[in-house]
Amino acid sequence: MFKAERFIDEAVAKLKEEVHGKALIAFSGGVDSTVCAALVNKAIGKQLIAVHVDTGYMRKNESKNVKKLMEKMGLNYRFIDASKEYYKDLKGVEDPEKKRKIIGEKFIRIFEKVADKEKIEYLVQGTIAPDWIESGGQLRDTIKSHHNVGGLPEKMKLKLVEPLRDLYKDEVRKVARSLNLTVSERQPFPGPGLAIRIIGEATPERTEIVREACYIVENEIESAVEKGLMEMPWQYFAVLLPVKSVGVQGDRRAYGYVIAVRAVHSIDAMTCAYSKIPHEVIDKISTRITNSLKDKINRIVYDVTNKPPSTVEWE
Amino acid sequence: MVKIFVVDNGGQWTHREWRTLRDLEVDTKIVPNTISFENLIKENIDGLVLSGGTPRIGLEDDLGNSGEYLQKANFPILGICAGHQFMGRFFGGLVAPSKVPEFGKVELILLKQDSLFEGVPEKSIVWESHNDEVSHLPPNFEALAKSENCKIQAMKHKSKSIYGVQFHPEVEHTEYGEQIFINFVKICER
Repeated sequence: MFKAERFIDEAVAKLKEEVHGKALIAFSGGVDSTVCAALVNKAIGKQLIAVHVDTGYMRKNESKNVKKLMEKMGLNYRFIDASKEYYKDLKGVEDPEKKRKIIGEKFIRIFEKVADKEKIEYLVQGTIAPDWIESGGQLRDTIKSHHNVGGLPEKMKLKLVEPLRDLYKDEVRKVARSLNLTVSERQPFPGPGLAIRIIGEATPERTEIVREACYIVENEIESAVEKGLMEMPWQYFAVLLPVKSVGVQGDRRAYGYVIAVRAVHSIDAMTCAYSKIPHEVIDKISTRITNSLKDKINRIVYDVTNKPPSTVEWE
Repeated sequence: MVKIFVVDNGGQWTHREWRTLRDLEVDTKIVPNTISFENLIKENIDGLVLSGGTPRIGLEDDLGNSGEYLQKANFPILGICAGHQFMGRFFGGLVAPSKVPEFGKVELILLKQDSLFEGVPEKSIVWESHNDEVSHLPPNFEALAKSENCKIQAMKHKSKSIYGVQFHPEVEHTEYGEQIFINFVKICER
């Protein structure tokens, strides 16, 4: 069986051997990067600099909360708002693989800038097993390029350090619990963020729509779980589809976009079953999204596919 | 400690097979399918898992040196998905594109009791992901399980401990997947 305490001891010892000098960690505030930061912090202390990039594709209030988390953990951190640059680079881009690669490369270029300025040699990433498995290469097919693996540029100056490479999320959570990290039970959130929850071009306007829809889905599902109406899914969110449909809102014809709601059960994201959400919960989500997003959204569908054949995220 | 290696044929779940074995306290490692049989037996292994992968065995693709392992091994082998299909073709059976490919949730029906399925009920849920399948058993093999759309979900050599399964016992959503691995480990311990 996987033993978190043993893993922590071995990982910290290995990091002490591997990293000599300053290191930068790509810090999203999710379970993986937070666990990674805690481990590297144990190994090299103040030599570690956490960098959080606000890509503009973060969830509602996310970057604000990450700032608080970095402070609470006592990390030496830098906060970079790059949202305008990201929106500019993704203008007109519709292909999901292109989106992922542009976002991945941009992350690295931002990290390199910080590293140059502060004379940092190492880049620590919270890469876990499904990231490199799905990114493919050699024998394996590319299912999707995870921004931290398949999205990495071919040429980069920083030396990569990835202490969680052989772990799955359920194991990372065990490590997080053993380190008393408050983020241990957070749902996964992809590095490219909301950009891959918008099918088609990820414009700032569409981002606002999907951000609000994701917020509503999270909020309603979490409160349903609290009331004991359902089990906590592995991941739950909204996807904005580029499809328009006819509706009627206030006696007038409406012609708005469709939101797909997704919730799945899994322990490691390698296989998933869609969550059997109670109808009353779906009903509430549907009404709340259409009422608050008004003429922009007039139809909600629920995704009932397992993985395989689908994946958790739509892109 | 029993030692079972996983041959990587490029599957999405190769690393899950490794993890399942490691969680069962097996001494395990992932090796590329280009490793020679000679180098493999130098490691004194007690068993081998042939993982799935992208090759379309139904369309004549190959799996590295897997043929050599199947021919020369005196230890148990478990072929999974493409590993199972390759095994079927290698021993003289037929592999063809599935009339109805299966992805995700499927009901497995056991046809025959065997030590690989000890503790697994006659009907259980398994997870699938395949475009091809073993359509005709090789001589000296018997079918151990089927599903609605696939006649050969599991097969076994009549006199050797060589097994093939079309479904994926290594993933979380296969109800008795871990039990099947426990059984295979026991077979390797003998």
